[in-house]
Amino acid sequence: MNDTSARHRVRSVTTTLAVALTLTLAAAAGCENRREPSLPSVRDKLRESHIDGQAKIKIGVATTEPLMGELRNGKHSGFDVEIARYVASYLGYEGDQRIEWVSVTTEDRIPALQGGVVDLVVSSFSITEEREKLVSFAGPYFVTTQEVMVPTRLRDKIRTIEDLREPAYKVCTSGGSTTEAELAKHDVKVLVVKEVGDCVKGIREGRYDAVSSDETILAGFLSLYPTEFEIVDMPFGTSELLGIGVPIGDPALRDLVAFALQKSYLQGRNGISSPWITAYTRSLAPYLKAEKAQPQPLNVPALVDFDDKAPTR
Amino acid sequence: MTAPAVPQDLGATTVPVRDGWDPAVERRTRASQSFWTAVVGVPAIFSVLRLGVEAGGELQTTLLLVANVGPVNLLAGFLTTAARLLSTSLVAVFALGAVLRVSVERMPPTVRRPLFVRWADLTPAWFVLSSFLLALVTWQLLYLPLLLPAFVAAFQLTPARLHEHPVPRTLIVVTLLAGYGWLLAPTLLDAWQQRELLALVLFVAPPLLALAVTGPLPGAVIRPLASVTEAAVLAMLVWAALPVITTPVLPLTVTTVESSPGVTEDVRGHVVTVDDVNMVLLQERGGVRYVPVDDVRAQVLCPSEEELPRHRLRIRDYHVEDSLLEGLGRRVRPVHRTDAACRTPR
Repeated sequence: MNDTSARHRVRSVTTTLAVALTLTLAAAAGCENRREPSLPSVRDKLRESHIDGQAKIKIGVATTEPLMGELRNGKHSGFDVEIARYVASYLGYEGDQRIEWVSVTTEDRIPALQGGVVDLVVSSFSITEEREKLVSFAGPYFVTTQEVMVPTRLRDKIRTIEDLREPAYKVCTSGGSTTEAELAKHDVKVLVVKEVGDCVKGIREGRYDAVSSDETILAGFLSLYPTEFEIVDMPFGTSELLGIGVPIGDPALRDLVAFALQKSYLQGRNGISSPWITAYTRSLAPYLKAEKAQPQPLNVPALVDFDDKAPTR
Repeated sequence: MTAPAVPQDLGATTVPVRDGWDPAVERRTRASQSFWTAVVGVPAIFSVLRLGVEAGGELQTTLLLVANVGPVNLLAGFLTTAARLLSTSLVAVFALGAVLRVSVERMPPTVRRPLFVRWADLTPAWFVLSSFLLALVTWQLLYLPLLLPAFVAAFQLTPARLHEHPVPRTLIVVTLLAGYGWLLAPTLLDAWQQRELLALVLFVAPPLLALAVTGPLPGAVIRPLASVTEAAVLAMLVWAALPVITTPVLPLTVTTVESSPGVTEDVRGHVVTVDDVNMVLLQERGGVRYVPVDDVRAQVLCPSEEELPRHRLRIRDYHVEDSLLEGLGRRVRPVHRTDAACRTPR
């Protein structure tokens, strides 16, 4: 009898505890539902960034690099331009009427960001430690290598970095580029001009003998003059990580651009066509030797967005 | 169905029966009336209140909305946004009612039955079941495990009902829990990695609580529990009603307007009505705007800020903040991209 009543007591105490805990849990769930969300959203970041409220976004692009950033018949085209269009539309600037394209040369890119002339730079901008002290980068969105392009008449003579060192050959590159620093490291004397296009023009006029730059940029010129030039594969040993330049004082905008690139990366990885894949197949794909894929962007923040609930499979 | 005018009887059941008048029947009728009044009246009142809030408190704007939003649209719009609140209230009432009822039945018959018990008494089982079904399809997956102890309590399904012998009973319970664990294992791991402790508890605790939640409570607990939960459910109704009242009745759009050649402007707001001449927009920042139809260049549907997810957890690819219905819906129309125009600042 005593045993039964003791069991009853334990049972009713357990029930009381269970009911109390369930009610507490329900109350906690209710409170949690009304609390401010702990993760920042894309919209929060947009409000923090300096582009909030701007009618147009100013993007610095190259206008003389075929396949990457080119201005032809008043219309900007190329891989960088397509990526810029995608990022702009992710930030709320859909269509060219909402984008102010600013032409930037290789050496202008950092001053343009620092001076507020542009909000973003998408122009074969390699991520380097020195540059990261002056501007922020989101990316990489492309990994390329440094190569040398020679006119067909010299294709048997210039094959190695050693050949480039010969004083007889005049090697040309664009000022303020990573190539300039890399060639100096290999003791190659270079003639520095403003744009890679000037080097190509100089070679065709007989003033220079070789041009060195990113494979992507050289591939662009090769697409223009397929019979006049050849790209020589040289072991410079460094890979160029192309990133999108953002003013250093606007970490929110950097985060947003990185998040947009990550979104495209995930789409591509899941086997769905992504904005990156579209841009790549429309511009670079036919002219590069090896097939490329979008690299994973680095330092992507955890943000929430409206389309987060969409199925991933 | 009007009740005869009689003095109020509070608590005692010692009033003599006179002229065929039964106090129990009378009480039940009154409870029934109050219950159905709440179930039908609360949504109706909310729907009308919402229009006033939506109009920004302006009389003329409210009248414009009243003139253009039909009662059917209003009720349907209300049900889509308030189904969750409605089902939560009903589930809470029925679960608490059943827990209190099984406890009160052990008490002397002189004890007055708490309100929720009387409501639970007179509600047909099909209505209770439908409330749970409504909750099942409308609650966010994150909170769905809580429905389990609530359901077990509402129908007082003790583990003993599973099997009469303890060994098979334990086996069944362990199998069920293992299945549940298998279903949620990746999500639990994610929740742990993201330090979402409440989410973790919300997934793990309810099935265990469901095992112990049935049975009578000690007499000392019943009265305080009854009054506290009655107050809590009422408070919850008021507290949770605020966001429901402020949820828009009309869908949010961004309309691109070209008022003079080459000059475009994005207007965030709700379309009240469109006729041959004007599109009437209730702007998100307040005020009504009549836009000539010829000036409208584009229009896109946008999500509102309340729809932003708060967690980054998924259960088998279903987002934890989606209900079963929403999750299924996303599978029917999977492609969803927020239009760039929706990012337009207000």
